[in-house]
Amino acid sequence: MDEEQGEAGDSSGGAEGTTSFSRRDALRIASALGLVSLGGGAAWALLEGELAHQPAVSWHKSVCRYCGTGCGVQVGIRDKQVVEVRGDEDAHNRGKLCIKGSLLPVLNTLPGRLTTPLIRKDGKLEPASWEEAMSLVASRFSAAIREDGPNAVAFYGSGQLYTEESYTANKLFKAGIGTNNVDGNPRLCMASAAVGYTRVFGKDEPPGAYEDIDHAKVFFLAGANPAECHQPLFERMLARRRADPEVRIVCVDPRRTMTAEYSDFHLAPRPGADLLLLWSMAKVMLDEGLFDDKFIAEHVAFRTNEGKAAGLEELAAFLEDFVPEDVEVQLGISSAQIREVAHLFAASDATMSLWTMGFNQRVDGVALNTTINALHLLSGQIGRPGATPMSLTGQANACGGVRDTGSLSHILPHGRMIAKAEDRAEMEKLWGVPEGRIQAQPGLHAVALFQAIEEGKVRCLLNMCTNPGQSLPNLARYRDAMDKVFLVVTDVFETASTELADVVLPSALWLEKEGVYGQSERRYQLLEKLLDAPGQARSDLEILVDLAARLGHEQLITAKTPSAVWDEYRLLSAHSKYDFSGMTRERLRAAHGLQWPCPSETHPGTVRRYIAGDPFVPKGQEVRFYGHPDGRAYVHLVPYEDRSDPVDADFPLVLTTGRIVEQWHTGTMTDRIPEIRQGTPRGHVEMHFADADVLGIRDGEQVRVQSRYGAIEGPVRVTRGPRPGTLFASFYDAKWLINQVVCDRVDPLSKQPDFKTTAVSVRSVSA
Amino acid sequence: MSLFAWVTLGVGGLTLVLGLLLLIRGPSWLKRTRPIQLGVVALSGVATYKLVAFFAIAALPVATLGAAHVELLEGAKSVEACAGCHVMWPMVNDLHDPASDSLAARHFKNRYIQGEECYHCHSGYGFNGALSAKLEGYRHLVRYTTGIYQEPIRMRGKFDTASCLNCHEGTRPFEAINSHHVASERLAEGTMSCTNCHGPAHPTRSERTPGDAHYQGLMRDPL
Repeated sequence: MDEEQGEAGDSSGGAEGTTSFSRRDALRIASALGLVSLGGGAAWALLEGELAHQPAVSWHKSVCRYCGTGCGVQVGIRDKQVVEVRGDEDAHNRGKLCIKGSLLPVLNTLPGRLTTPLIRKDGKLEPASWEEAMSLVASRFSAAIREDGPNAVAFYGSGQLYTEESYTANKLFKAGIGTNNVDGNPRLCMASAAVGYTRVFGKDEPPGAYEDIDHAKVFFLAGANPAECHQPLFERMLARRRADPEVRIVCVDPRRTMTAEYSDFHLAPRPGADLLLLWSMAKVMLDEGLFDDKFIAEHVAFRTNEGKAAGLEELAAFLEDFVPEDVEVQLGISSAQIREVAHLFAASDATMSLWTMGFNQRVDGVALNTTINALHLLSGQIGRPGATPMSLTGQANACGGVRDTGSLSHILPHGRMIAKAEDRAEMEKLWGVPEGRIQAQPGLHAVALFQAIEEGKVRCLLNMCTNPGQSLPNLARYRDAMDKVFLVVTDVFETASTELADVVLPSALWLEKEGVYGQSERRYQLLEKLLDAPGQARSDLEILVDLAARLGHEQLITAKTPSAVWDEYRLLSAHSKYDFSGMTRERLRAAHGLQWPCPSETHPGTVRRYIAGDPFVPKGQEVRFYGHPDGRAYVHLVPYEDRSDPVDADFPLVLTTGRIVEQWHTGTMTDRIPEIRQGTPRGHVEMHFADADVLGIRDGEQVRVQSRYGAIEGPVRVTRGPRPGTLFASFYDAKWLINQVVCDRVDPLSKQPDFKTTAVSVRSVSA
Repeated sequence: MSLFAWVTLGVGGLTLVLGLLLLIRGPSWLKRTRPIQLGVVALSGVATYKLVAFFAIAALPVATLGAAHVELLEGAKSVEACAGCHVMWPMVNDLHDPASDSLAARHFKNRYIQGEECYHCHSGYGFNGALSAKLEGYRHLVRYTTGIYQEPIRMRGKFDTASCLNCHEGTRPFEAINSHHVASERLAEGTMSCTNCHGPAHPTRSERTPGDAHYQGLMRDPL
């Protein structure tokens, strides 16, 4: 400083009166420049600092809790709390979610969690210790098994349990206790799709993948409302249409859904008659020469309804009953539209069908499933990018956790059937249990299970992670049954089922336990444990492992952690065409999901099955439907029979049920999220203007909806949604149980109940 | 070239001319005793020197700097300015790609935003919005020129959902979707992002990583 001043003094003296550039000037300029850059640097540091100061959030890869789309999410966690959930850009959903997924941060913070086991004493659920609750459960189950045999107990599971949990429950009940009474909510959801695929391809699960959406030219959406129920997938279809103006979306639905609003064609069939549409489309394809004769000759076989081998001649004769002009009145869709859509479907470069509950939850669910697959086989719209029949799933882990683990009453892991002796023997060997341990008779399917409970044949029921007290059809009847049985319910909140339970076990929620979800396109994704469960809540796996030990099956259920169970189950798959033995825990931790078959640790997974690239298709072959010994896919000639709940003068309207985008399943989680609860209407029934006019019903009026099974009163919304003659209601409102009106007719093959066509009458009850 | 670029050039040129004039003729003005006739007024030599000096050394340079700054700040709004740094090439290439379904490309195709597309979405409302966008641009500039960044770049902080809502809120297609009403508070306070359902806005980080199928196409020089 001194030196600088001295120099400055010197130079100022020397420079007096001259105009030359002095050292002093140089210093001035230098310090000015220094100041400016200092200021600039400081400003920059401030800007960076402001951003760095934002609280640190750690991001973790996971999967959405809700539907079968199985969207990848990134969960932002700060101070052991979820602060934000974003779509995972590197997952199949490319960062897109729906409103439910976007509101996931609220889920784990909701009040009202069950935190301690509860035991019903004098009609009231009282807190108890785990020891007390589990020893009560074990003693009741043991007593029932001892006195009435293993079929006196049952397991009712869910497509929301993790794969490790469903697998363990299935193994414990079928190979340990020795009962095939293992069923669950997926019976109400996708049994028809599973049976349909198995009949057509010899193996369950779809041949294609979501990626086909990016290549399709025509989307045939029947019995599906993806704009609300699989929203990120519909967004992907719209993206596809934006990219290629020739892309067309066809929506088949008796209701003008949000999907229909965005579609190029909306065909509204009379509820229950849509099998006529599929076969009449086949008739048009045949007449207009739109069959892929080469593909049919090489890869397709025909079966009559009686199961006999048939050929194209039998098909042609069979299709004589489905001339569009002959079926249009019964179907409710004009022959011109049938012809146009049939042509569009068969002649496009790549047609992708997507369907879900509108086809599955039907008395002719399997027929619809086999026939939609048949349309693809006949027109050769399969096995190419964008050409595929894709069944969408309702629940997050119905495919991976239930269909693939074989956790239904008629199946065993990886496509094996209870009814086949060799399949049972193989599983007994793999599980290391004595020959004959697995019963030869399939167990009780969901509806039969609750009927057996009603008759007192099943005395104890373990219900995990699902809410049959709200989701079953003909609900009043089966709620009475649930009240009689010794009912154990594991859940995170009080539900319409816990209120009927004798023991309630508090379970861990999403992110509070580790496990694998498998969504609609054979993709397995790992969800890691990121949070601690509140209070004494335990994962369903811990509960099952504990129960197994108490029932004396500790030797069988040796895998006690999610990763140990996974390794056992993963290696088991190597003995099947599902082979995903290459999906180690480490790979699943790193990958954004992997699609099976994936037979080795270096295998990238399989996007499309049954074509070159699938590890089970022999080298040199382009296509092979290896699920059947003859390598062919089957077209089943299933005639149309109107087996739906009959519409008559007493019950002149048809009630159909479904979901809305904001709410998921029975609303036990979503309807607790304040934004969703406030933003969605309470239980109500939707009716077309024309029907309202005829019946003299005004919008908002209280009406009574009566079926042969039950009745409910509630407000009516008069809209242009459902086609005339049809009513619509959603089932998320726990205070308005619409399923007590819904019929419990089931598909003869899949045993899936029909939630879509219940004959009802409606009258005003407003004063 | 923009108006302010022309102004900068004009004023800057004039500064140069006057400065040269001052250097060459200045000394003779100072020695001159007779007034100099400048149009209708006559000024003494010293006064002329001071006047020209005022413009050449003070007024015009300030005006030039001002115009240059305006040009810089205005110019920074352009897509070309953003494309000046290669890390932004994927965003710009994607923006102009008719086959892309990113939010940026969809907005570009719709032609609702004509020109200055980057700036339009990446600046908030009013003076504060403009100021923070400029400051952010300044931060980018410092990082880029000093090389303190990693590719593929990621957005720091949060995109302001108000930029979306300013145009979309209240429109019929927006209001017709019930989920927007369910989410309205969170969208307004920014705790839920529009891109959650409608994203991604730009090519993802993986697509901007060497080895990805999209990488080569995205890294072309768009200018």
